[in-house]
This record gives sequence, structure tokens and C-alpha cells, in this order.
Amino acid sequence: MKYFKSTKIQNYLVRILATMIVVIIISCSMTIDSVVQPPSVNGGEIIPVTLNVKIETNEGQTSKLMIAVLVPKIWKASQKIKASFTSSVSSGPQQMTLIPAGTAAPKGNGLDWPAYLANKIGNGGNLINDWEWIAFYSNADYALGGNKTETATVSLQIPTTDDNVAFKLGYVVANSTDGLSGTDRYGSYFTGCFRVNGSGDLIDFCNPQLATVEPRTSQDNDIVTINFDAGVATNKLETSSAIYLCGKGFTTRGDSVVVCAANQQSKLTSLGAGRWRMDIWPRQFFMQTNDTTHLTRIEYYFTDITGNVKVGYGGGNTPFVFTFKCQ
Amino acid sequence: MKKFIGIASFLLLLVGFSCKKENTATPAEPVKEITGSWRIIKALRNGTDLTTRFDFSAFRIKFSDGNYTIENPVPFIVNKPGTWKFDDPVYPFNISFRTGSDSATSAIQYPVVGGVRNLVVSFSPGCQSNIYEYTLQKEN
Repeated sequence: MKYFKSTKIQNYLVRILATMIVVIIISCSMTIDSVVQPPSVNGGEIIPVTLNVKIETNEGQTSKLMIAVLVPKIWKASQKIKASFTSSVSSGPQQMTLIPAGTAAPKGNGLDWPAYLANKIGNGGNLINDWEWIAFYSNADYALGGNKTETATVSLQIPTTDDNVAFKLGYVVANSTDGLSGTDRYGSYFTGCFRVNGSGDLIDFCNPQLATVEPRTSQDNDIVTINFDAGVATNKLETSSAIYLCGKGFTTRGDSVVVCAANQQSKLTSLGAGRWRMDIWPRQFFMQTNDTTHLTRIEYYFTDITGNVKVGYGGGNTPFVFTFKCQ
Repeated sequence: MKKFIGIASFLLLLVGFSCKKENTATPAEPVKEITGSWRIIKALRNGTDLTTRFDFSAFRIKFSDGNYTIENPVPFIVNKPGTWKFDDPVYPFNISFRTGSDSATSAIQYPVVGGVRNLVVSFSPGCQSNIYEYTLQKEN
């Protein structure tokens, strides 16, 4: 006992223990070492992605490989993504299959993989809440020995749509036994802003926007939330104490309706910290009473009470545009 | 011995007369009655609570015998008067609305909250991806 009371011996014990813990932690790790993908594609093209994955084990385990991808919902990619891999423990391309929604993730407290990933990994810095995680399991289970370092090269073919999108793609690698139960049990990787050069209004998930509309896909008979964040960029309404919506609605008849009076109906609600919000029923706001006529898009500014100070796209004089359409 | 037989006979009689046929009839589930004027007390859009953010206060839907009318419309499954019916009057899971040649059906729930019957309808007035859930409560 005298030995254990010695400070020197205690220090050695602490170091040995720490080393053991580090060895255990490191030897369980799954990492995405690098991601190879183009910086942009044209609308409708497929994004070819390669993930270089490293798996280090401290004990034998037999599991399926799990790969997840963070994409915009508008791509409706879950049934279309093709995923496969080659690895140091298998021969030839190995196929992967979409994990059906509702399938409980291991150690996920009953959550399925998309919800588990959203809770644990998040949105990768995408600022519009219209993304989804899509997860795949390898078709086969793989037995890995203890204290081994293995590699896998994952190939993903991600389809896009014709929409004009800026998005931060995200990837996660894990296995069917450990799930996301510890930060050493999975690897994640988020790319910079990826561009799909499509058509229509730019759906920019990457950069803070002065104005955003929710739900991002809406019709004129939805309740639409228009947000104005005066603090994200220099603009003439940064210090205004009241903000109003000034808009023009374009109809399927080919005409347009301007609603630009600063009053209670057009006044945004302050959320504090320069953030403002307004919930409108576009058909009511733009006085559309004929059932056969619909709004196709709106152009809008934010104004002060006088209506003389206007803020449009990028803080300038060009109006913000929102096109009514569904996915 | 006679005393014992007397007590035993008395107990036997007591047990025999205390047995009564159990009433196993299941109480009949009442027909769901929604006649009257209903207002929106809660509104969700894709899970986001819009109740205090959008003015639903003037909206009324009035059900009568197979017909309904709407006052001060808001985005709803229907916006014009017409007829309605449950898929099952006792155990309804859906409510159908018909106005002219158009029809729409909504899943419903019919919970009692705080002793008051509510009617919860879910529908998509715009894009199908946007799901609204309104909780309606009958006015007194």
C-alpha cells in the first residue's frame, strides 16, 4: 500500500489508465477522412461522391455499414440515391439499401435513423429547415477483427432536380451495432456550399438571408410565414421600430395586385434582435376571391411606416421574389 | 350438532341468494353529434403552432343535419358551404365535405379535453406536403 501512496507511482498509474482509455477510444473510431465531389452541377444532373472511410477496431464485431447523406428535401432523393462501397474486408463492389423510415436505429431510443441523425448530427449549418437525412445499410454484415484498421471507399450517386440550390451536403458513417452512441462510434463530414445551377429563384441554404419564406414550398392557399432578419446584412431598416410588408401578387390571369399600405394588416411582428415575422394567407392578403384565379408568385419589399424606406433583395431596391409551387 | 347444521344451512342459503346474474351488456357508443357552431382553438402547420400568429378568431363552421356553412374563411379543407358526412356515425375516422361537384375528406379525431368535446381535423389546403391540423371546439 505504501507504493500506491507514492506520488510517483500514482502519476504512473494515471498515465497508464489514460493511455488505456485513449487506446480504447481511438481503436473504436470510424472516420470519413476525405470527401471527393464536384463543387457544382447543373440542375437535374447526378452528383458523384466518394467518401474515404477509415474504421479502427479494438475488438471483433459483426455489423452492417451505415452511410447517411444530408440533402435538400426538394430533391426527393431517398428512392433515387445509389450507394455502394469497396473495402479492405470485402471483395468487389458491395451494395447498400435504403433503410426504411421508421426502422429503429441502434441505441437511438426508438428513433429511426433520419430522426436520430437530425437530433445528434444536426443540419450541418443549412439555414432553411427543409433538409433530410437519408440512411443506407450495407446489404451484408461484415466481421471485423479486433485491433484492426480497415478502409472503405463509398460511392454515392445523388440525383438533383432542376431547382437552383445552394446547400451544404453532409455525410455520416456508422454501423448497425453502435449507432451514434458515442462520438468515436461514427464519423461525420460536411462540405462547403454546394451549388446546383438550376432554374428559378435561388434556394440558398448556406447564407443568412434578409428574407425567408416558410414553408419553402407553398401555394397561395397555404398560410405563409414571411421572415425579415434585419441583422444579417447592412440595410436601411436595421434600426426601424416598425416594419411593413409591401407586395405585388401576380395571378394566373396575367394581371397583378399591389398591396403596399403601411397598416395593421401589413405590419410584421417583432421577435427581438432585429428579427420580424408575418403570417399571411396570400389569397386574402392579395384579395383573390375568384376560385379559378391563383397567385403564381409575389414580389415584395419591407418598408418603414412612411413607405419611403424600402429594403429588397440583398438590402437593395430589387424586390424579393417568392414563387408558389409544390415539390 | 343440530346447531352446526342450522348455521351451515343458513350460510348456504345466504350464499345462494347473494348470487345475481352479472350484467355483461356493453353500453352503446353514442352517435357522434357535431351539430352546432365550431371555432378554431388550435392550429398547427407542419407541427408549428400558428394559433396566436394568425387570426383564426372569426372563423366558424356550422354543422346542421348533413349540411355545413362557413363564416370568415381561413385556409381550410373547404371554403364554401355544402354537405358533410362521417364515414361511420358511431366510430368516425374521416369526415367528408362536398360542395358542388368538389369533395374533400379529412382524417378526424374526436377527443374530450377538459370535459369539452373537440374535433381535430387534418388536411392540406395548398401543397400536399404542408399538413395542417386544426382543433375545433363547439360554441355554447
